[in-house]
Amino acid sequence: MSITALRRLILIGLLLAIGLGLSLASPSFLKLDNLMTLLQEASQTGIVAVGFTLVLITAGIDMSIGAVIAITAMICANFLTYTHIPAFAFIPVALGAGCLVGLFNGFFITRFKLPEFIVTLASRGILAGLALLIAVKDADGFVSNVFIQDPVYLGFGGTVGPFYIITIVFLVLAVLVQFFLKRTRSGTNIYATGANPTAARLSGINTDKTIFAVYMFSGFCASLSSIFLSARMMTAMPEFGIGSEMDVIAAVVIGGTPFTGGIGDIWGTVIGTVFLAMIKNGILKLGISPYIQPIVIGGIIVVVVVVDVWYKGFAERLARNRARRRTAEQDRAAA
Amino acid sequence: MAENSDASEEVLLDCRKICKSYNGPMVLSDVDFSMKRGEIHALVGENGAGKSTLIKIITGVTGRNSGTMVFEGKEIGHDHSRTGAQGLGIAVIYQELSLIHGMTVAQNMFLTKEPRMPVLGIINIRRMNSLAQAMIDRYGFNLKATDVIDGLSIGQRQTVEILKALNGKASLMIMDEPTSSLTSAESAQLFGIIRQLKADGISVLYISHRMEEVFDLSDRVTVLRDGRLVEVLEKERIHPNEIIRLMIGRCLDEKDSKCVMERKGGEVVLDVHGLSSEGKFSDISLQLHAGEVLGIGGLVGSGRTELVRAIYGIDAHDSGSISFQGKPWTPGVSQSIRGGFGFVPEERRLQGIMGGISITGNIGITNLDSIAGKGFVSDRKELALSRKAVGLLNIKPAEPSLPVGNLSGGNQQKVVVGKWLIRDLRLLIVDEPTVGIDIGAKEEMYQTIARLASEGVSVILVSSDLPELTRLSDRILVLRKGRIVKEFAEGAVTEEDVLRASSGILEGGAA
Ligand SMILES: Nc1ncnc2c1ncn2[C@@H]1O[C@H](COP(=O)(O)OP(=O)(O)OP(=O)(O)O)[C@@H](O)[C@H]1O
Ligand SMILES: [Mg+2]
Repeated sequence: MSITALRRLILIGLLLAIGLGLSLASPSFLKLDNLMTLLQEASQTGIVAVGFTLVLITAGIDMSIGAVIAITAMICANFLTYTHIPAFAFIPVALGAGCLVGLFNGFFITRFKLPEFIVTLASRGILAGLALLIAVKDADGFVSNVFIQDPVYLGFGGTVGPFYIITIVFLVLAVLVQFFLKRTRSGTNIYATGANPTAARLSGINTDKTIFAVYMFSGFCASLSSIFLSARMMTAMPEFGIGSEMDVIAAVVIGGTPFTGGIGDIWGTVIGTVFLAMIKNGILKLGISPYIQPIVIGGIIVVVVVVDVWYKGFAERLARNRARRRTAEQDRAAA
Repeated sequence: MAENSDASEEVLLDCRKICKSYNGPMVLSDVDFSMKRGEIHALVGENGAGKSTLIKIITGVTGRNSGTMVFEGKEIGHDHSRTGAQGLGIAVIYQELSLIHGMTVAQNMFLTKEPRMPVLGIINIRRMNSLAQAMIDRYGFNLKATDVIDGLSIGQRQTVEILKALNGKASLMIMDEPTSSLTSAESAQLFGIIRQLKADGISVLYISHRMEEVFDLSDRVTVLRDGRLVEVLEKERIHPNEIIRLMIGRCLDEKDSKCVMERKGGEVVLDVHGLSSEGKFSDISLQLHAGEVLGIGGLVGSGRTELVRAIYGIDAHDSGSISFQGKPWTPGVSQSIRGGFGFVPEERRLQGIMGGISITGNIGITNLDSIAGKGFVSDRKELALSRKAVGLLNIKPAEPSLPVGNLSGGNQQKVVVGKWLIRDLRLLIVDEPTVGIDIGAKEEMYQTIARLASEGVSVILVSSDLPELTRLSDRILVLRKGRIVKEFAEGAVTEEDVLRASSGILEGGAA
């Protein structure tokens, strides 16, 4: 069994164990209602995490996702408050804004060879400020709460059967992107770009184009999740999404996509988001102070990264031994 | 491709009056170069002669300033690019560079050319694997299409590189120092492949500093010196001494190699006892005397590099002890530097060089103790030191302010070695010190090492270059699978003896 498969198996085992523990500790955990809410929350992080995973596979990082959520929410709030344009017409514009941010990020990363972290951190600052600037204000200039009444828009927060629409969208997106990653040339290019950019370029891959594409997609995913968020909350606030990078990073890292690039996939991210949502849900269900959530999440990130580094060293040792055995065999054959 | 008798005389590539400068001095001036279809052609010359640059121009990595290039009868314009070269069928074998780790052999071979299903552009993995396997089998390689790169030996990786290039329907295959990290068995295998390519009508352009390879393999040899064409030798004129004379412009009076081992009686400087590191080497005990050159032989992957890294303190070991000058010693890089250890690492690009920084800066960094008396770096002393290193090893161009990344491969290596040689050393560890260094500079390096030893410095020399190992060493230990399998301490040793021990064929035949 490959080492990634083994890691995944352990993660799923852990997920089931925690689930079992929680259902024993809290009778309401296994209720359909609670499970659907859990999945709904997982999907909220998950949609953003899908885009973020692609960025991470190229060995980049996108710190602007939280602020993209905020700006998207504010764009929608403006359309809803000041115009009569139907939701189906302005939502594509809002999604386009996310892509535009990705375009901006990609431009500075590829053209000026700036570090991904710096570029996207700067966009985060700019967007967070812009979101406040364009927020709907009352007569005194204070940010006012927008109450969303548009039925079409609110529909995004709804359910089909027991499932929230967002959960369905998340799963469909995950399946499509996973397939894209593993079975198309563009998907392969993403891995190659992250694993060894020089080699990728030498092989004729346009790594700049790949980088543009992943940041645009990451922006798109963040915008998409923003629409679901405001639809569910029935309001839009300029603080939406700010700080949510932490959850997204945690989910993706738990899922087994490392920061070093070239490895990872969407299945891992799906498991990671459910894992994280379950932990958060568990904290609520067990009646522990919610303030402990970020501490737990931060702690999990550290533990996972440490274990992964250790695990990687272990796997490399195995691979080295195997290579050595092969060399010996070859020499014997040559002799 | 149609094969007939005059096909071999057909000119595949014709470069004329190629000039190139990287905004500075001329690196190539009026160089004529041609390749025939189906020939094996060696390009030789000293470090910095312009070999790699010529290849970069042919493969579209860098542009030429003037001159014409004609490939398969078609003129190549100044807009030549890497993708353009690939499209024409010009393939390059890069040293380990172009393989993607984590992907399989087939994925690497077909990168950007994956076979796809008729609908939706979905990659047809099964077909890709079977096509790859068919190609592997056609050449009789010991590989599986579904193997992941990370588990392959260096030699196998290079085979994958070649397969990958062939897959682009190459008619010209270029290799820049392909054997520099291969064992002799792996090199032999590579030569087999090169001959196979030739039989398939593919031309091979080959750069190497290992002269014996050039003589065995080539149909023609082009010699460059200081960016100019010196001569093109036809098969019958390819002779070692002739080529060396043309390369360096003088005859080389090689000091006759001693190749006789002799135990040095001096004080024990380093005493390693039962050193083990899981999966790398086990139970290594050795003693190093003052002024002794201790050679460590063995195949690539036998644990030599790992052993010297552990002694120098870059990697930790699991068990065993080391004492240095009679006192217990805990390895660690900063202790080692303070104790007067010097270390020339194997992977110079990764461990030894800061490409964007000047020669002076690179040399300064390991010598901070001597240039920064009270915590401030003295530019004057730094410059003086780097001048010394540049002079000692004849680094070209002799301009300490140049970024090391702009030097030729061989001259970069000289910087790595040079920054240690100018120190006050007790113990020098060198791992493959002359890979990629031209034959004249090699001789200078040998003399420097011998001089250091005569001044009482102890040297550990790891080398796959057997003539080098037998010539320089006073004593040779051979490692195999992480263990010392043989010690040559006295009497004459031949290259063959070392090779036998390395590959596990000890005296008396079977292992
Ligand atoms: N990127 C660069 N910028 C400036 N100068 C360069 C650059 N690359 C190479 N040079 C210079 O061009 C000259 C020729 O270098 P080249 O790499 O072609 O030599 P080479 O024949 O391949 O030598 P070696 O055997 O050491 O690899 C050298 O003097 C080198 O300093
Ligand atoms: Mg070179």
